[in-house]
Amino acid sequence: MGELDHEVDAPRGATSREWEVFCRESSADPLTHVGSVSAPSADIAREQATQLFAHAAEALWLCPADETVRVQAESLALDPAADGTDATMDAESMQAETLRGERE
Amino acid sequence: MISVSKLLTDLDAEGDGLRYDAAEESTKSQIRDEKQRRPVVVWNVTKQCNLYCDHCYAAADTDIADGELTTAEGKALLDDLADYGAPVILFSGGEPLVRQDLEELVAYANEVGVRPVLSTNGTLITEERAASLKAAGLKYAGVSVDGLPERNDDFRGMEGAFDGAVQGIRNCLDAGLKTGLRYTITERNAPDLEGVVDLLTDVGVDRFCFYHLDYGGRGTEIVDADLTPVERREAVERVCDMTREYHDRGEEIETLLVGNYADAAYLVEYAREHMSEAQARRVYEYLRVNGGDPTGERVADVDYQGNVHLTQFWQGYSLGNVRDRPFGDIWEDESNPLVRALREREDRLTGKCADCRYAGVCRGGSRLRALTVEDDLFAPDPQCYLDDDEIRGPEPFAGGDATSPAD
Ligand code: SF4
Repeated sequence: MGELDHEVDAPRGATSREWEVFCRESSADPLTHVGSVSAPSADIAREQATQLFAHAAEALWLCPADETVRVQAESLALDPAADGTDATMDAESMQAETLRGERE
Repeated sequence: MISVSKLLTDLDAEGDGLRYDAAEESTKSQIRDEKQRRPVVVWNVTKQCNLYCDHCYAAADTDIADGELTTAEGKALLDDLADYGAPVILFSGGEPLVRQDLEELVAYANEVGVRPVLSTNGTLITEERAASLKAAGLKYAGVSVDGLPERNDDFRGMEGAFDGAVQGIRNCLDAGLKTGLRYTITERNAPDLEGVVDLLTDVGVDRFCFYHLDYGGRGTEIVDADLTPVERREAVERVCDMTREYHDRGEEIETLLVGNYADAAYLVEYAREHMSEAQARRVYEYLRVNGGDPTGERVADVDYQGNVHLTQFWQGYSLGNVRDRPFGDIWEDESNPLVRALREREDRLTGKCADCRYAGVCRGGSRLRALTVEDDLFAPDPQCYLDDDEIRGPEPFAGGDATSPAD
């Protein structure tokens, strides 16, 4: 096994806080990461995770994605060389480009 | 995605190897292929958008959002998808054209063997960008228009958006890009449907995709603005009628319905009422092989931050992130009980879906809408518009009579 020397610190939440969800199907089973839910509060996160997993789970654990440290082998990184350059137009040029095609 | 034009106008006894005597055999092999089919992957390359549409599932914004996958990460994702065997990548957003590396990503997808297609609001497609997208190897552009000019501009939050989209469509067609319409049907714009098709056929568009509203993103705020079941049935019937009228006049338009598999059941009923029992059977067989609602199986979504979702509309839950693990590993991981449940949902559907005779072609419709409206993952889709007497009874055309001529 390689060293866990790559930290994934990119945000996961889009519109509100993201909560990692862990689920145990029965007491003999391991606690398994089953993805994440977006919710503004722990209560709402719990409600959402329950809706999705209550049919299968005996226990659910939730923790805020922004409090979760994710380290992994470098080889797993999507692109270790990614330099973080932004390929997206800024708001101003986006507005300037909009409907440009209309002019003839 | 249900092709109305194919089912109602092309699917004759000679087409598609679905003649009665061949139906059984070809159905088996198609089901086999089906099981191995990888999902079409929607990639929201950015959350940023130049418009502000009422029904936007991505809750898009005019500012650049944190954590967008970079060009290099995007290419690594495309490598992943190619390794996994994803057949198609649908570049979406936000508005994907605000990414200046879109052409580079399209070209890369093409190079690694994932078919690149695009979903856009059309207003940023200048002559130059249409040409550069075509040159990059883009195979198809779906441009969203949601009503005649006034209604569309109101919905999309910008005056001139309709004309801008139409100009974008013209630019695509001039560049030789296959281009189609995306139309999300709501209560407000349902009356405009034929008018928009008329107008755009004149521009040269021949493919029209009609989306039912899903209840994610900003869509949840307009559940109330959605069609009633009666209105929905009428709208779908009009799409069917219109498709046949165009074809009768020799205009070969392609029409598709997306996002509500009760449409599959309805199309069988429609074929029976307006065409023939034999046509209804062919439609049913075709749709049964097609497999019903594809959530979590034949369609997947990767958002701008790399989170993997069950469909593009289901942004509130993510299976995992491609920055942590390759897409294929996330998608194949059935230690997740929700994924397992969705993939065997037939056994779990409740209420009228539990014993609906069309469950085989519909699979209960949208699980996301059931969850949003009923707080229950396995409740019937609130958008189902089939009558009770249509869905009760034995499975249509079931049993060993598939080889005997019915008409
Ligand atoms: S009752 Fe359920 S399975 Fe049957 S058509 Fe309606 S949504 Fe689909």
